Amino acid sequence: MIKKRKKDLYLSDRQPLTPLGKFFLALNYFVLISYSLVILWPLSRMVISAFNGKQGRYISLSGKYEFSFKHFEYLFKETLYLTWVKNTLVIAVATAILTILIVSFTGYAYSRFRFKGRKTSLMTIMLLQTIPTFAGITAYFTLHSIISDFFPFITRQMMLIFIYTGGGIAANTFILKGYMDSISTELDDAAMIDGCSYMQIYKLIIMPIVRPMLAIIALWSFIGPFMDYMLPKALLTKPESYTLAAGLYTLMNNRETLNQPAFAAGGLLTALPIVILFIVLQKELISGLAQGSVKG
Amino acid sequence: MRVELKNIGKKYEGRENFTIRGVDLVIEDQEFCVILGPSGCGKSTLLRMIAGLNSITEGELLFDGKLMNKVPPKDRDIAMVFQSYALYPHMSVYENMAFSLAMRKESKKLIDERVREAADVLQISEYLYSKPSDISGGQRQRVALGRAMVRKPKVFLMDEPLSNLDAKLREHMRIELVRLHKSLDTTTIYVTHDQTEAMTMASKIILLDQGKIQQVGKPEEFYNRPENLFVAGFIGSPTMNILKGEIRGGSFQSLDRSLNIKPSQEDYELLKGYENKEVYLGIRSERFLPDKEGSLEVLVEVIEMLGKEKLLYTKLGEHSFIISVPGHSQYEEGKKYKFSPDKGALHFFDGESKERIN
Ligand SMILES: Nc1ncnc2c1ncn2[C@@H]1O[C@H](COP(=O)(O)OP(=O)(O)OP(=O)(O)O)[C@@H](O)[C@H]1O
Ligand SMILES: [Mg+2]
Repeated sequence: MIKKRKKDLYLSDRQPLTPLGKFFLALNYFVLISYSLVILWPLSRMVISAFNGKQGRYISLSGKYEFSFKHFEYLFKETLYLTWVKNTLVIAVATAILTILIVSFTGYAYSRFRFKGRKTSLMTIMLLQTIPTFAGITAYFTLHSIISDFFPFITRQMMLIFIYTGGGIAANTFILKGYMDSISTELDDAAMIDGCSYMQIYKLIIMPIVRPMLAIIALWSFIGPFMDYMLPKALLTKPESYTLAAGLYTLMNNRETLNQPAFAAGGLLTALPIVILFIVLQKELISGLAQGSVKG
Repeated sequence: MRVELKNIGKKYEGRENFTIRGVDLVIEDQEFCVILGPSGCGKSTLLRMIAGLNSITEGELLFDGKLMNKVPPKDRDIAMVFQSYALYPHMSVYENMAFSLAMRKESKKLIDERVREAADVLQISEYLYSKPSDISGGQRQRVALGRAMVRKPKVFLMDEPLSNLDAKLREHMRIELVRLHKSLDTTTIYVTHDQTEAMTMASKIILLDQGKIQQVGKPEEFYNRPENLFVAGFIGSPTMNILKGEIRGGSFQSLDRSLNIKPSQEDYELLKGYENKEVYLGIRSERFLPDKEGSLEVLVEVIEMLGKEKLLYTKLGEHSFIISVPGHSQYEEGKKYKFSPDKGALHFFDGESKERIN
């Protein structure tokens, strides 16, 4: 008797659902599930095709299935896939590190120091960012030709790193500044009295506290070069210097090199470094969500 | 260490006026000095200037006669306890306390010794390896104190360190802070807006208002001889009863003539020059004597029972008085009672300058 009672107890904090509420709940689930199917189905086709030895140069939906690593083999042996991976990793890591470094300085400065034009400068950069990257492509070209005259050692790949980093500075500064603003400045004062310089205050006190945010910023900056196809395609000229996205695309649009299943396989592998980084940073990301405030 | 302020002033960037100006002050070695004042009067600003966290716009700050205006905080031999405690959230209690010594490159052994010693005194040895977020507010407070103690500074600065604690704990920590101060032989400068804290802890109180020092002195001087009308109104709970009036024919008359209070002989001598001039009369709630022949017949409107005393909120014509009587005495709301003011406890203030007369 008592046991049954326990089961029937209504424990949710919300009011019980009305029949209409139940209907809408069901509708919600229906919409969400169909939506995820729409996304998952092509993805699953891609995964399946990547491992399907019976696929030719085009992905066909009907047809036989045979598990094989054929397409991966093709990717590694017949294309510059590994070079592209290396290029992308270098660019992504450099972008992430550079972004973190610069944003650390700018975020800290905007959060802790008062100077002339503090607000206006930040707003200006934010506004400039609304101009799409694509519109700036001519500017990048001109800039590169000017720069390469003076500093011939700056390659097009380096340009790419600078563009990715520069593009992220404003938004990331804004985010980091907001996060730092929530940290009591009394911590800075305490550290100052304890004998820290400004650099040490950042390194020893502020940075450890904003680490979850830095992890997120690093992750985003790292993912950027993996996802972007347009800029590398426009800026980089030789296939040997391509990044993954640009390189893989040659498997799609070029008649001679066309190989759709290999493209699928390459895309699948691309996710790998990002997933690994996610796992590495997981602790930081979650602690950022769970951490309480500074004051109690 | 003797702390001396000479004509200190502070103007914040982007502000029209000086936040503090013309502060002259000497805090002797080993004194427990409380800076008291209403919110926004510049207490924290003053303390932060002493700490070196804010620059000094004008004037001189001297520690033991040495000019300190441009010395960075870490070289001033001070330690500070903050209102929010400002514990480093990513460090354990031990690391928090060790931090300042570690920054000064002290040996591991010395650091360990000092931290354990301070933890012993403050009874936080159990929590040395917990994070600040895992201990209670009172314990955090002690950690903040401990962090300041380990360096054995010459001057302790505290900015409202007890304001985040509950009433009981605050009472307890007040006593403990004073005990700590005595055992450490340091100069302590303590900022608060709570007059109880000031009265109970200080050996010297500095009352600040609108960026100026209103009075400096011992707690009892503040209570018994407030130097101006602001101090009279600020110190003491319930607030002192204050009447505006004139001196006529040698006695105080309220503006509407309904009240007539005769001062004592000594006060009368000092009030001679104020004939027909405006003055304020102040009288503390406990200095009304129940008196069958009393000149003040008041109507009791509300009675507040505080335990050891009762507060009578009374009316006499237009005027209201707060009168405190022993808790066991019998009074009823809505009835009239007669009192007479204690002649030896009247405070007179100049109507214009608001300065004390007697
Ligand atoms: N960084 C600053 N820039 C400009 N004005 C400031 C700054 N810090 C404080 N002020 C102003 O100086 C005045 C005094 O501030 P302060 O913090 O010293 O007050 P306080 O007496 O400590 O008040 P509370 O009891 O509320 O802490 C206030 O009017 C405040 O607005
Ligand atoms: Mg303050």
